[in-house]
Amino acid sequence: MELAQLAHNGDESAFAEIVRRYSPRVFRFASRFFRQRSLVEEAAQEVFLKAFTELGSFKGTGSMEGWLTKITTNTCLNMLRSAKRRPELSAADLTEDENTWLDNKLAGAASERHESNERSLVAADLAGKVLDKLSPEDRLVLTMMDGEDASVRDVSAATGWSESKVKVQAFRARRRMREAVEKLLAKRGQRRHETLESAGTK
Amino acid sequence: MNDKHILDLLEHAPLANLSQVDRERIEVHSKECETCQRAFEAAKLSAMMLKEHSLDTFAAPPFFETRVLATLRERAAGKDVWAFGRMWRAAGALVSSMAATVALLAVLSLALPVAQTSTSSTVISANSYSAEDMMLNSVDVSDDQSSDAQVLRTLYETEEEAAK
Repeated sequence: MELAQLAHNGDESAFAEIVRRYSPRVFRFASRFFRQRSLVEEAAQEVFLKAFTELGSFKGTGSMEGWLTKITTNTCLNMLRSAKRRPELSAADLTEDENTWLDNKLAGAASERHESNERSLVAADLAGKVLDKLSPEDRLVLTMMDGEDASVRDVSAATGWSESKVKVQAFRARRRMREAVEKLLAKRGQRRHETLESAGTK
Repeated sequence: MNDKHILDLLEHAPLANLSQVDRERIEVHSKECETCQRAFEAAKLSAMMLKEHSLDTFAAPPFFETRVLATLRERAAGKDVWAFGRMWRAAGALVSSMAATVALLAVLSLALPVAQTSTSSTVISANSYSAEDMMLNSVDVSDDQSSDAQVLRTLYETEEEAAK
């Protein structure tokens, strides 16, 4: 609260300290929304600029971290809302690595836990591609609840939504993500079938 | 167990939070139902992808706070420019309104005396018995008087002739 007060009174070093202290959290949170580093940085910067202008509204009743999380959520949701989304992910959007990862998982290698770091990044990228096709709200609840095991209350605090809204949003988001993955797998199968057929005719 | 129930179970909570009993029920049913098997596979893949996605985060670049502060100063300077612009526009409005008032007053002061003169001359011309008219057209007045005398004379002459 003291730092916030000092920064509000125009103390630049106090505000720099706030940025230093909370930027890891803001970056981690913004990374849920964007796959490109440049966008995460842009979002994080915007969060702190907004925080500076709204320091007067920070009463100190909650934590500074929670207050900044709320600003981060709103900023990232607004940025995503203004960006155009493509309606569906097609099989052609997948890289060779992503196809291999899916093949391995579908072949039953799901239980194997010693994956290389590279494989994890492939999966993370693939998740990002699927999430890009969902609404910003779906993306938020899925990454928080299913990705980071956040509770309904955590999501409610970060977004300002009621707990029942969070539950409904999560339920629908899971269905939409599952359906998107199902469709992607079906398209992949179809594409492979067509490739095999064209190879057979040659 | 029907298909709908399986799908509800998949969507009710994160897959990792499903109870062992529910998970077994889904697995048993999925072996018999192709639709549910596809849904379950997709749900498992989604859960795995989301876990990996949550681990893949970006860290703040070095000197991030310096950049934020620089942007903050830039925006503040930009705001100053905007404030000056607003002041300039407000001053411009004031100056134009003042200029308009001066122009209006000039028009009024130049045009009004002319209008008054023309009005008074119109009134004079309309009223032939005004003092100015009497003074300016004194010759006409004497003409009028002589003609009256002539009229009277003619009248008397007529009466005298009648008496004869």
